[in-house]
Amino acid sequence: MSLALDLFTIVAVTLGAIFFLAGTVGLLRFPDTLTRLHALTKADNLGLGLVVLGLLPQTTAPFGWIGLIAVWLLALLSGATVGQLLAEAVRPPEWDQTRTPAASPDVPPNAPEASSHD
Amino acid sequence: MHANQLPSRSPGRLKFTDDGATAAAPSALAALARGAGFFGFWLLLARPGTDAPSTPDLAADLVVGLLAAAAATWVSLRLLPPARKGLHFGALARFAVHFIRQSMVAGVDVARRAFDPRLPLNPGYLAYPVRLAPGTGRAAFGAVTSLMPGTLPVGTAADGALIYHCLDVDQPVAAGLARDEALLARVRGNGGGCR
Repeated sequence: MSLALDLFTIVAVTLGAIFFLAGTVGLLRFPDTLTRLHALTKADNLGLGLVVLGLLPQTTAPFGWIGLIAVWLLALLSGATVGQLLAEAVRPPEWDQTRTPAASPDVPPNAPEASSHD
Repeated sequence: MHANQLPSRSPGRLKFTDDGATAAAPSALAALARGAGFFGFWLLLARPGTDAPSTPDLAADLVVGLLAAAAATWVSLRLLPPARKGLHFGALARFAVHFIRQSMVAGVDVARRAFDPRLPLNPGYLAYPVRLAPGTGRAAFGAVTSLMPGTLPVGTAADGALIYHCLDVDQPVAAGLARDEALLARVRGNGGGCR
């Protein structure tokens, strides 16, 4: 049983590390600041979630669990907030020119590209 | 970051937070509840007295924790005045399941794009006419959708629409946002989500 839990920990934490790596690769490879923010916020959210999930069997219920999950939620909250603030700070001037003609959320944006990626 | 107009029924709560919503009795109750919550959270994270069970140390730790909880309560009451609106816990559970599932989709999606040698990105902007009222609801929507697959809010347009930066504008981004919004609106008790 303990071996199974240890294996679960190893697998989940390794998967989490892979997503952190993916976030870093995205940070290095993506073409501009906004796309890089996507890479960091999304991949790190899942990566930290998997690390926390993997560590749950190694702590004592319930307080260790609540503490770990609280760390994840706090990181989520700060990541989501700071991500938006950074996006607002670095958005290029054309961010507001993509008006949808009607107030329909299903109209695809026909705007010029924000960034020239290859 | 957020406008402080909470969608609340009592007119006294619609004013801005700077003139202090701490006087009335409901606010004192809210302050007490929040303070207790923050202190409990601090106890959980700091776990005073687990290493060195000496009474003076424990007392000093608890004083620090109480001060921290008081400061957090003060800030929270200034930034987020108490509102009458309750949360619907069934809807919150459904939303949590949706959020965790979409977090996985988002992480896998961005990892796939990052590792792909061709770097398949198709970034662009999308104006989403959000129906949630400005205030905590919209702030929560912005925070949640910044973690959803391929969307990142970059600001609010003059007409009130949220402008999203999308990793891939060929994805059904607006449909996903509409689903997030409907689920979030139910958590806040707004029936179908369309105000």
